[in-house]
Amino acid sequence: MKLQNLTLTTTMSSNSDHQSHLHRSYASNQQQQSKAVIVPTPCSHLTEFKAGRGATAFGKLLEGIRVRPLGRASVRGEAFQVFRCGACGKVPPRLYACLSCDAVVCDVHAPDHEHEIAIDVDRAELFCCSCGDQVYDRDFDSAVVMSQTAAATLGGCNSLCAPPPESLRKRRRVDYRPWTPDSRERALLGSHSSLLPGNNEDLSSFPVGLKGLNNLGNTCFMNSVLQALLHTPPLRNYFLSDRHNGFVCQQKNGVNYNKNERKNKNLQKLCLACDTDALFSAVFSGDRKPYSPAKFLYSWWQHAGNLASYEQQDAHEFFISMLDGIHEKVDKDERKLHSQGSGACCIAHRVFSGILRSDVMCTACGFTSTTYDPCIDISLDLVPTHEGPTKTLHSCNGNAESINSGVSTLLGCLDRFTRPERLGSDQKFFCQQCQVRQESLKQMSIRKLPLVSCFHIKRFEHSPIRNMSRKVDRYMQFPFSLDMSPYLSSSILRSRFGNRIFGFDGDGNDPDCSNESTSEFELFAVVTHRGKLDAGHYSTYLRLSNQWYKCDDAWVTEVNENIVRAAQGYMMFYVQKMLYYKASGSS
Amino acid sequence: MRALIILVLITEFWRIMSAPDEDNHAQVASHFFGELLDSVIMDVASECHRIATLGLDRNLDDEEEELRLSAQARARVADPSNSEANSKYVVDIFGQTHPAVASEIFDCMNCGRSIVAGRFAPHLEKCMGKGRKARVKATRSSTAAAAAQNR
Repeated sequence: MKLQNLTLTTTMSSNSDHQSHLHRSYASNQQQQSKAVIVPTPCSHLTEFKAGRGATAFGKLLEGIRVRPLGRASVRGEAFQVFRCGACGKVPPRLYACLSCDAVVCDVHAPDHEHEIAIDVDRAELFCCSCGDQVYDRDFDSAVVMSQTAAATLGGCNSLCAPPPESLRKRRRVDYRPWTPDSRERALLGSHSSLLPGNNEDLSSFPVGLKGLNNLGNTCFMNSVLQALLHTPPLRNYFLSDRHNGFVCQQKNGVNYNKNERKNKNLQKLCLACDTDALFSAVFSGDRKPYSPAKFLYSWWQHAGNLASYEQQDAHEFFISMLDGIHEKVDKDERKLHSQGSGACCIAHRVFSGILRSDVMCTACGFTSTTYDPCIDISLDLVPTHEGPTKTLHSCNGNAESINSGVSTLLGCLDRFTRPERLGSDQKFFCQQCQVRQESLKQMSIRKLPLVSCFHIKRFEHSPIRNMSRKVDRYMQFPFSLDMSPYLSSSILRSRFGNRIFGFDGDGNDPDCSNESTSEFELFAVVTHRGKLDAGHYSTYLRLSNQWYKCDDAWVTEVNENIVRAAQGYMMFYVQKMLYYKASGSS
Repeated sequence: MRALIILVLITEFWRIMSAPDEDNHAQVASHFFGELLDSVIMDVASECHRIATLGLDRNLDDEEEELRLSAQARARVADPSNSEANSKYVVDIFGQTHPAVASEIFDCMNCGRSIVAGRFAPHLEKCMGKGRKARVKATRSSTAAAAAQNR
């Protein structure tokens, strides 16, 4: 085996040193369209090649590219033609077809060839014979992608480039403007507000809103989720700025407040948002004694009848149920907006709702059928080992592997979630192009990220067949800072087409999907479970002003971040690092 | 997927080659195996080169740092001399202590009775006629439960 001829130099550009960062060259090479991809500065030979030929430099390639369904692009020659090196006659792993003449050369004889720019026949990659390196060009990649997508669609770019239907409302973004009261507002503030009860100097130095919640009898599942929601920034801001006013809400529902307090409680219209508002007011009041969310429990049990019992519940089930309760109390017209995934229906969805994209691809012809669905969180299977997004590169880095081999990670679970899965042969999908049922691949990706991402780890396995349940205790690593861009639809599509430089669906300026600037998240709450399936305990870790606190029912204590990193995460809450302010009302 | 097929072929080739055979058969098989292996290596190299050049792996350093911090954290927490991990609560950050069963007392919003916080849920379950035990009772005294709810 002769491998010594295989040398591949990795140079970002002729000027910059590879190690010295990506970040610097990112700033200088940034193109408008796709922020995810750095378009490297072309070498002088490539520039010269393109200068001579203009925009149609790679035009004739479109006919010459052969695409296997769901596979790579390669160069097609005449029928039954086998490419060989013109100089030595061999068929080595790398063969380059010159773009200026008909010559085909191997990597050994490429430097001797008179022209510089060639194309790798097996991989459809540009090669500069002078630099002896693979080079990249946007126009070339576009030509290749067009060939690939033409093969995969009914004669056009279907779901690969087209955005989702018009029903997904577009919202304008506005810049953040800090608010200061004018003189009239200042007067109102002065006459209508009172100072919060002053406690000890020491107590007020702790973050506002930090308060224990009494366990009312196996209600730690509820307390743990409530603590996370109380400190979910957009949700907290909504309720603390009185966006859901209990008085107004009850009046709208035909309840008249009278002087008899006792009677009121039974006449009050059931509204979980009102109870949530009351909870926020109590917890952010400045008083540090633990709060008993009794009224909240009472209201929630009225909403979720089937879950109303004195036994340990699942925290995630409670989370979904509570958000559903807030959504349900919104009037019917607004509730309809939910199906479009814009989150315009209620605060619960505005904060937590994202859009998932599902692609089903025919393995015979590559035709892809796409659907979009809103989602309020992402439930992940606990994957045994670290299957990182750059696993091919990890194998070069011995250190990372030895420390962490065999550890489950959140990124690994997300990789599994967005991996193409082969659907069973009993689930053959009817391909519109082939006009028959074919075996297919399904792949999930995230079209739009929510403001707050909640990841639920499926640690409780229920087997109805064996009539038993079990808990998976395996540790799963989760980061404090999370970049979701590899899981966006644009990134998943891009990697499906060989990571070409191209404006895939979701890239660039469409405000209704997520791009690079909205994909950075920070962890702010972790709900953990300790113990056995039916005899366990939930508690929540909160991150406030970069200090971690443990909320264990009534007990609030400070903890070191190591405790949190080493904890068994059940639900992780991440908030977008940079929150955009959207124009409210119709666009 | 092509890589998978090639890997299967490679395994097959090794199996064939390890069986005793004529010299030139082995040489030819070895040559083809070499070609396939080179091709696979080239595929991976080309993909990695593109990923690295286009900056698609620029999160790699941050991801590895997070993994390292987690491994470090787990080691520190597992250390028996580390008292923080499993200490019992003495006082919370506000200097308060709390009993095992929450002792605050308030009125049930369903029946009006005074209830201890830590026993509120089991009370409410019966009071509202929810839960397994309550449902069994309800069949016997459904009028009483209905009257309580409508009060």
